[in-house]
Amino acid sequence: MARKNRTDRSPADKAPAENVPAEEPAGEQAPDSQVASDASGETSGRWSSKQAPVSVPALGLRGTLLFLWRQLTSMQTALVLLMLLAVAAVPGSLYPQRSVNPALTEQYLAENGRWGEILDTLGFFEVFSSPWFSAIYLLLFVSLIGCIVPRVMVHARQLRSKPPRTPARLTRFVGHTRVELPGADAEELLAAAQKSLRRSRYRTERREEARGAASVSAERGLLRETGNLLFHVSLVVVLVCIAGGQLTSYRGQITVIEGGGFSNSLTQYDSFESGAWYDSADLPSFQLTLDDFRATYNTTQTPQNFGQPTSFEADVSVVTPDGEPTTQTVEVNRPLRVEGASMYLLGNGYAPEVTLTDPEGNVVAEGPQITVPLGDTGYTSQLVMKAPDAQPEQTAVVGYFLPTGEIDENGPHSVYPDLLDPQVVVTVYQGDLGLDGDELPNAYEVDVSTLEPLTEEGEDTPVLVRLYQGEEITLPDGSTLSFDGVRRYAAFDVAHDPFERWVLIGALTAVAGLIASLFVPRRRVWVRVLPREGGGAVMEVAGLARSDDPSLEDDVHALAARLSAGQDEQTTPTDDPPSAAEDTTPGRDTP
Amino acid sequence: MIDQQLAEVANLSIVIAIVLYVLALLGFAADLASTSQRRSDARLEAKDRAEAAVPATVGAGPGDAAGERPEPEAPAEQPAAPGSMSPQTFAFLLSSAAVVLHALGVVLRAVATARVPWANMYEFATTSSAVVMLAFLIFSLRRRELRSLGTFVVGPVLLLLLAAQTFWIVPAAELTPSLQNSHWLVIHIGVAVLATALSILGAVVAAMQLLTARHERALAARRTEGEADPAHWGGFGRVLDRLPSSTSLEALSFRIHSVAFVCWTFTLIFGAIWARDAWGRYWGWDPKEVWTFIIWVIYAAYLHARATGGFRGSRAAWLALAGFTAVVFNYTIVNTVINGLHSYSGL
Ligand code: HEM
Repeated sequence: MARKNRTDRSPADKAPAENVPAEEPAGEQAPDSQVASDASGETSGRWSSKQAPVSVPALGLRGTLLFLWRQLTSMQTALVLLMLLAVAAVPGSLYPQRSVNPALTEQYLAENGRWGEILDTLGFFEVFSSPWFSAIYLLLFVSLIGCIVPRVMVHARQLRSKPPRTPARLTRFVGHTRVELPGADAEELLAAAQKSLRRSRYRTERREEARGAASVSAERGLLRETGNLLFHVSLVVVLVCIAGGQLTSYRGQITVIEGGGFSNSLTQYDSFESGAWYDSADLPSFQLTLDDFRATYNTTQTPQNFGQPTSFEADVSVVTPDGEPTTQTVEVNRPLRVEGASMYLLGNGYAPEVTLTDPEGNVVAEGPQITVPLGDTGYTSQLVMKAPDAQPEQTAVVGYFLPTGEIDENGPHSVYPDLLDPQVVVTVYQGDLGLDGDELPNAYEVDVSTLEPLTEEGEDTPVLVRLYQGEEITLPDGSTLSFDGVRRYAAFDVAHDPFERWVLIGALTAVAGLIASLFVPRRRVWVRVLPREGGGAVMEVAGLARSDDPSLEDDVHALAARLSAGQDEQTTPTDDPPSAAEDTTPGRDTP
Repeated sequence: MIDQQLAEVANLSIVIAIVLYVLALLGFAADLASTSQRRSDARLEAKDRAEAAVPATVGAGPGDAAGERPEPEAPAEQPAAPGSMSPQTFAFLLSSAAVVLHALGVVLRAVATARVPWANMYEFATTSSAVVMLAFLIFSLRRRELRSLGTFVVGPVLLLLLAAQTFWIVPAAELTPSLQNSHWLVIHIGVAVLATALSILGAVVAAMQLLTARHERALAARRTEGEADPAHWGGFGRVLDRLPSSTSLEALSFRIHSVAFVCWTFTLIFGAIWARDAWGRYWGWDPKEVWTFIIWVIYAAYLHARATGGFRGSRAAWLALAGFTAVVFNYTIVNTVINGLHSYSGL
């Protein structure tokens, strides 16, 4: 039975545990539920590594491995690994993580020189994929599996077995009550006890004992252990599904200007990353047009809130993978979902329509140009426009787009995020834009240090061009620049993780198991009846809590009262002091 | 639209609640001081009684059993003059009044902003401290012996409220887009408020458990040395005599922490669901996510420790306090110093 399995864990268990209900199932001793510890080390629990043999050298290879395995799957080790896991996660929040924000990581590295390099080598910028972090959680999960598999076996056997025998002496258990019932019928009493306990959802077993006594042994709350196992198994399921998701998911960023469109293929993404088992053929084919992007801002005069965004809405027309045309408003927290992909609104900005004509009269750059917001409330945005085909020299327009522009001692900046007074404030540079190299240049950046700014004839301060919407200007070299209008753009993430549903199911199952494991009381209750020679009977009732179970005592008393009340007419209940009950204890046949 | 006037009223209500809490704190403290002397006499008596009848052997945790002392019974009604009330009852009633105003302040803030009142640190702190007080008062309505913990609950709640009122207060405002359109704001943060409140309460009980356990051990040691009426830690020791025994504080702490752990688990899961709706991934090791994970793991370790030989009792209680430290860190440093996606706090 259950005991056999336990012996391969802790040799100390082999000692017969006298007096203690023999079938203590493994691994469930909550501190408050322990039977007094006269049971030879029984109390330190099966999951304690203290009982593992300590004489390592004598064990040989197999023995050593076994020893290590027992150490690994012990409760102490699990506890230490859990604490290590918590500690190891801390640097992941203190140092900028590459996976979260690579730019911050680079900045930290640049600022911290040698120290940064050391940290980098040690994995402090990729904590959650570092060897040491992985080692901790992998060990923890190996330990977890090594721990639950045997427990599942034990528990499965326990679910099928009968409630354990009634202990010989009930006096030491919770709520022990001994009642003399002179007019009672033993048979009736036992039947009533069994019925009553069954109605309270106990599993019961009636057993005949020596000297004509008989007892009902009842047990309830095996669900507690079931829940505990379910919880731990679900943790493994969650981990496996997370790993599955990492291998098969993808995620990409796109930017769409109002009036512009996007069709879901790899070439359209600004950036794209996917798991090792991801197959790009799985990318669902859907198309979309950004019809309109709306933003509203706080206009109250409190300085803290003024200009804070209050809503972002992107109206999109979509053709779903199965060819269905629909429209939807995508908002933050309201993604667009199509079969196999979801699209999240994560950013927005302005795309001013700027046209550059070179001195020869050719339009060399035009159209809505995506600008990058610098992060202030006013949406001051970086504008970079490259004209590699300009003659006689390649040209770049570099500066700011300002939705509500102002130029003061702080330089050009925007004071309000909406388009109240849109302006373009730029400098024009000429020279080699460096677009011939192998490296794909960032479209939103240009290195102006190798370029020459345009200046007025005979001066050397660069010309600062300030254009209001609808204006055009002719530059000193004869080229012209015009600011024709503004559109907004929206930035979306497109992502899909086929496993996330299973992660969720696993997590919810874990909680269900956890709740059962924490809040279902596990207990045993015994009723023993010894017929009296001249008629009547002596009844004893007692219980054992296997978990925090403050109401057990009351329940036992209530059961005793109910059963004696059933034999009402003839009874004279005596609530006995424990010491008095000792010598009349029946049922000495239990081992 | 935001009703700024109503928001003012809400704030006023909380300020008055703070004043009442101060008075309640004084009441609870006076109660502890005045009764501790009488208690230590009663303790002796109770001990003698307890030694006569050794209780059933089931139920004693081995950890702190050495210093065990019998439960103080329901507090003896104070020998106050007829018609007047004991400091404890006075403090209890005051804190009840305070919590009504406190909760009113929270509700009015919600009405003024037409949304749930937990979108920034100020609102989070006021709401969760209200939950702490409510939970404490409800617990101690039935179990009167818990009222003696009043000082140690009202104290931290006051601290939190004062911090909120001085450092974190922000004008009532609309939600930023990242918090709009989502019932997860209600569910996820609502559960987080509950979890935080339970962590605070649990930490108070765990700390008292550690103190009483040490106190009990010292008393027991002196008793074995033959002292008839041992004293330890002077006046504070007599205050501790007045609290429930370390064993029953341990049980209470476990019950609070197990509910807290379930709440933290839900916070984690709901947060992940929301993150997936908002950012397209359910987990991204954002600092706030990291710290919620750390909190969860520490409390898991606490629950484990309770079931692990050699860690029960005081050692487990230290883990509970470590978990609480992580909670505090998560709501102060992570919100204000470390920048992440969750930096919606308006600071
Ligand atoms: C992934 C890491 C683990 C986590 C997060 C975790 C979490 C928990 C939690 C929260 C509990 C208390 C709730 C309950 O009773 O169900 C618990 C209980 C338990 N865990 Fe784990 N656990 C982990 C790994 C392990 C390992 C490796 C073992 C085996 C050595 C183990 C064995 C147990 C046992 C025996 C209990 C029951 C304690 C009792 O009877 O009260 N767990 N675990």
